[in-house]
Amino acid sequence: MNAAKTAKTLMWICLVVISALSLFPFYIMIVMGTHYNEDLFKGIPIAPGGYLADNLKTVMSADFMGVYLNSLIVSVVSVVLATLTSTLIGYALAKFEFRGRKALQTFVVLTMMVPTQVGLIGYIIEMRNLGVGNTLWPVILVWAAFPFGAFFMVQFIRDSIPNDLLECARIDGCSEPGIFARIVLPIMKPGLATLATLVFLWSWNNYLLPLVTINKSEWYTLPIFISNLGIVHRTDYAARMLALSLTTVPVLILFILGSKTFMKGLTAGAVKG
Amino acid sequence: MNAEQSLAPAAATSAASRKRRWGPHLWPYLFALPFVLAYAAFQLYPVVYSFVLSLHDWNGISEKTYIGFKNYVQLWTNDPLFIKSLWNTLIMMLMFIPLTLILGLVLAYWTFQLTRGKRLFQTINVLPYITTPVAIGFIFSYLFDWQTGLVNLLLTKFGWLQEGFYWLQDPWGSRAIIALMVIWRNLGYFMIIFMAGMTVIPQDVYEAAKMDGSTGLHTFRKITMPLLRNITVFLVVTSVIGGLQLFDEPKLLYGGWSGSAQVGGPDNTALTVIWKFVDESFISNTRFGYASSIAYSLFVIIVFFSILSYRLTAPKEDKR
Repeated sequence: MNAAKTAKTLMWICLVVISALSLFPFYIMIVMGTHYNEDLFKGIPIAPGGYLADNLKTVMSADFMGVYLNSLIVSVVSVVLATLTSTLIGYALAKFEFRGRKALQTFVVLTMMVPTQVGLIGYIIEMRNLGVGNTLWPVILVWAAFPFGAFFMVQFIRDSIPNDLLECARIDGCSEPGIFARIVLPIMKPGLATLATLVFLWSWNNYLLPLVTINKSEWYTLPIFISNLGIVHRTDYAARMLALSLTTVPVLILFILGSKTFMKGLTAGAVKG
Repeated sequence: MNAEQSLAPAAATSAASRKRRWGPHLWPYLFALPFVLAYAAFQLYPVVYSFVLSLHDWNGISEKTYIGFKNYVQLWTNDPLFIKSLWNTLIMMLMFIPLTLILGLVLAYWTFQLTRGKRLFQTINVLPYITTPVAIGFIFSYLFDWQTGLVNLLLTKFGWLQEGFYWLQDPWGSRAIIALMVIWRNLGYFMIIFMAGMTVIPQDVYEAAKMDGSTGLHTFRKITMPLLRNITVFLVVTSVIGGLQLFDEPKLLYGGWSGSAQVGGPDNTALTVIWKFVDESFISNTRFGYASSIAYSLFVIIVFFSILSYRLTAPKEDKR
């Protein structure tokens, strides 16, 4: 009894310590954003300071809102594109019998295996030739066909939509696009939410692609803006930390609010496989 | 009798599939078309084009010259930096993959048993995973900064070190910190994946084990771990694939806090394959042909290592 109790206490201590280590860097980041830059290095910044408003002014003066808007545009359009194409092909593969279905299914699985980096140079030259090299388009279009999304949607639609329902709608004379929009999509809401979460997160955090495509500051996304802020405000670490907080904290809050759906989204790929 | 019984469902399914075909045959093709077109245009074409480029000598401006596989020969026999970058990547993977697996499993097992606070611990530990790598790079390069970093301040304050340790300029220090960043970021993800696997294990298996007198560690080793085999295979294979493409963490660790843009870290000990690739093609150089051969070599390495890690971890009956 006693041994079990100490084991349990030890387990709790470990869990709390690890969780604290998970949170600590966030705390430091937020606190540092509230201090006057020169004060940062006088001691260890543990308590929040009173310089938040001034740091905010510094960050905003560098067109932070415009960059924020860019990132939002990229993520929202990517989410819409990726979920739309994935759901459509998922519906076709899961609920129709047609010549070439097996081959198409194999094709989707194969596309998942090719890392995007392999085609990076070709993709960027293609974008330059299309005349959209230095805009937001390359960062968005890379999501137009999202292999994992297509794979996920095939599984999800197969499991969640009864064939009888589709048959009934057909007998009642509903058109195929009508069936998709009015019957399939509403049932798919949880699956759509899951996929949207993943695409939003990955496109919001994407660093490599905007780094090599965008070098005009009007098209910067948040990760690029922040990693370049160092060059503009070479010494203003406090302002940079504040910009980081402004980038990460809203996403974290969204995640905490919808943690149930999001957690499902993150584990979606693994449990099936 | 028996034959009739087995025939009946077959007839029913074929009738159903005939019914499913009801309506224009064109629709499934139309539904699949956007994905296929987008894939062909924005992924397949670039991948093929990159391969063509890898057979050329091209700097993006002048004429392309076809040189066959010379880029690959040069890369594998005459570019020590590439070999070093591959070596660095593998070392760092060896540092973070086993540790994240073990810690993630233990953390998941503990959290899974909690009667309350389960979701709280899950949510807290997943937060690093959803944080943008840029933030992680900045925070870590601050924490481990030689002069102003919090870690050195604490170590010297408590008298464990006479003066600050040069974490980011030490060959092994830099690798260890990159591994630490990856572990910090992925631990919670591993944990919730393991937990999702544990929820799938039927509860009566545990009850039967308890009846037979199995407890704690024994149950964990004999029941939980074998049943999590598939999940573990998934995590190993995906983290090998992801690990070989390591870029964000090392790049941001050395492009962040100090403002200096040091390529590859101290003496290139933090240079990864993708960093070398990006540097050759977009940052220091525009050797598009040569860099494409790096990308393709990495592709082959990824295929090789994912098959290898699958063979090593997959259950025996799945091995061929």
